[in-house]
Amino acid sequence: MLTKVSAIANVGLETVGVDVEVDVASVGFPGFTIVGLASKAIEEARERVKTALINSGFDFPPKKITVNLAPADLPKDSAAYDMPIAVGILLSSGQLPSIDLTKYFFYGELSLDGSLRPTRGILLLALYAQKQSKMTIFVPAPSAAEATVVSEIRVIPVKTVKELFNHLSGGKMIPPLKHVPVDDDLDTPSVDFDLSEIAGQEQAKRALIIAAAGGHNVLMWGPPGTGKTMLARALPGILPPLSSREALEVTRIYSISGLLSPGKALVKRRSFRAPHHGVSAAGLIGGGTNPLPGEVSLAHLGVLFLDEMPEFPRSVLESLRQPMEDGVVEIVRVSGHVKYPASFTLIAAINPCPCGYLGHPRRECKCTEKQIVKYHHRISGPILDRIDLSVPVAAVEVEKLSLTAPKSRGTLTSKQAKEAVMKTRKIQEKRFADLPIYTNSQMRNREVKKYARLTPEAENFLKLAADKYDLSARSYFRMIKVARTIADLTGTRDIGPVHMAEALQYKQRL
Amino acid sequence: MVYQSIYGGIPLVKTLVCYACDMDYRRVENWQDRPELIKLKDLPDPPKELYFSGKWDPELFKNCVAVVGSRRMTEYGRRVIEKIIPRLVFEKKVVVSGFMYGVDQYAHQVCLENGGKTIAVLGWGISQPLTGTDRKLAEAIVARGGLLLSEWNDQQPTLWTFPVRNRIIVALSDEVIVIEATAKSGSLITAKIAQKLKRKLWAVPGPITSPTSVGTNELIATGTAGMWLGDQPQAQKPSSDPLLRLLTSDALTPNEIARTLHQPVSEIGAQLSLLALAGTLVEQAGKYTLNHAHQS
Repeated sequence: MLTKVSAIANVGLETVGVDVEVDVASVGFPGFTIVGLASKAIEEARERVKTALINSGFDFPPKKITVNLAPADLPKDSAAYDMPIAVGILLSSGQLPSIDLTKYFFYGELSLDGSLRPTRGILLLALYAQKQSKMTIFVPAPSAAEATVVSEIRVIPVKTVKELFNHLSGGKMIPPLKHVPVDDDLDTPSVDFDLSEIAGQEQAKRALIIAAAGGHNVLMWGPPGTGKTMLARALPGILPPLSSREALEVTRIYSISGLLSPGKALVKRRSFRAPHHGVSAAGLIGGGTNPLPGEVSLAHLGVLFLDEMPEFPRSVLESLRQPMEDGVVEIVRVSGHVKYPASFTLIAAINPCPCGYLGHPRRECKCTEKQIVKYHHRISGPILDRIDLSVPVAAVEVEKLSLTAPKSRGTLTSKQAKEAVMKTRKIQEKRFADLPIYTNSQMRNREVKKYARLTPEAENFLKLAADKYDLSARSYFRMIKVARTIADLTGTRDIGPVHMAEALQYKQRL
Repeated sequence: MVYQSIYGGIPLVKTLVCYACDMDYRRVENWQDRPELIKLKDLPDPPKELYFSGKWDPELFKNCVAVVGSRRMTEYGRRVIEKIIPRLVFEKKVVVSGFMYGVDQYAHQVCLENGGKTIAVLGWGISQPLTGTDRKLAEAIVARGGLLLSEWNDQQPTLWTFPVRNRIIVALSDEVIVIEATAKSGSLITAKIAQKLKRKLWAVPGPITSPTSVGTNELIATGTAGMWLGDQPQAQKPSSDPLLRLLTSDALTPNEIARTLHQPVSEIGAQLSLLALAGTLVEQAGKYTLNHAHQS
């Protein structure tokens, strides 16, 4: 007898419906075959399903069993077809009374004892089910919370196959999970570091506020141990909270990567990703036979921190160019190509030289001139071109760190900074209402000319600066963009010489 | 700064309206009595009368630099102007030139583009109608608080009027910069007058193969003019600015300066950029210090 069970396949962030057709033939040699471009993980579903059914007290029919995953030409890779296959076998072998499956989705990985294991991509299934209208999804209980943020569907958390059997056969019903509405007012949990906790480095903090306000990328430049990492970790805390739409977008990426902790419904805080410099290009931008999101996508709408940037292999850094430009990554593999969103704020930290102590007040640098030049050349121009702010983070005198020292006056807290940032973002929202961009950093030259009006004095200043520091055309526009954000922070309409002069502080020094 | 009433107290003799150009102009009554024009008296043959268009502001005449040059401006001359005028404006100097096409007009124009004020001394009577780009430039000069000046009321432009007006350009200015000049350029007449009036004379060096630089190179070669190399050292006054006093003996990062002076780092940063651009400060590896090369 043939049974059709509905499931899905995730190709990148796109979801495709998959029919799991299970046939238990009354004639033929006993066997268990799965067809439909199944990966190794699906092939092995045979053993899992068989053992799980037997261990749950069901019969595994000694007959010719054929499973087809349609559409047959779409490569599938997920252990989540265990549950639909098991349901199909129970129905086809007559152990379950025949029921109408058209409104049901089954998705989840089985354990040998018949319980269900956490599974990736549950949120995507829920969103797909929502589009089909009036659907019920059966998902593993440990991952079911993800689906609760989606409205208009019934989410049935399944703990074991036995429980599922009882539910479907009209025995003990599993209560569906309650829908959790997503408010725009997401409470932001505590951040790693508050700005006020960081001693000194006023200019770097100011740069972070400008970066947060205008969506600019930042390059921090200084010897080790001066607080670059701490500063970078403080940035998510001054970024505006995620909107509900953004939170869902980020959660989707985490769901498909299997990085949502069990029981957690929604990613509410901006992510902070700090990949080590040993990361591969595939790890950074995403990849694999069936491409999964990389660090840039996991940092979507958050912060990507590259510590000791010149230590990253050049080819890896170069792969950042597309996401930095377009806010998405396109990964092409044999199995097809997928697109993941990757719009992040980059914080790059670099040491002034390979040993790290060039220009340090007390320690001597041991690098040769040649080594220093080579070190800086590892970061290519096109990458530097996409970094608007560059700020030195000098060594802090020990006295300033002492716990007994009186707190310097007017230390800015992350909360105050965040308010200023949100105000500035509002101004930009209004400014770019008719454009597909959100922040000053995304302006192209055309928009710069239109929205970043300079007073004649500011223009005079900029021309002199361009002449004196040999600014390229690109850094010229970059400076205007930064000045635009600085002017927005004070709520000024036209960019004045003061704003321009401050922007010049953050010019590149490499 | 004290702002003068709209005509700076100059009594109006009669309102002369030129209908062809409809740019208002007036006579400077008894210019000899006006303290801001005292420099004109250095001339052996000062103008008898003086007419002007625009808003009279005695402050304008305080810090004038003449920028003159050939009518046939080359690409090099154009770029020289684009380099030096922004700096002059930055130093709050008023650019004086002769409103002739070529170097003169471009100097006026770049000055305006950079938000500066400029004085155009005309080689013809002030009532002569202006058309086209001349007219537009003249209006822009006036609109930005500059002046059009002439010693004549309705004199037609002729060969002799141009060299004659050059003496006024020189007399009004403290320094004269010659951008480009051919071997027989009128700018050399200007240079000669500058020498006589003991005004500081500068010439911009040019390629020895370029005919429009023969005159300027000659001025430099004979020692008549100083060689203008772009960044001119300025005399430094002992400063009352706490920021500069702080940096006289020490090289400090913006963070340290902000902390010492109890000012937000954003404002300190802006000040440092401005001072570094003016050449007062130098920055090395993130630390700022007074530029001693400029002090000597």
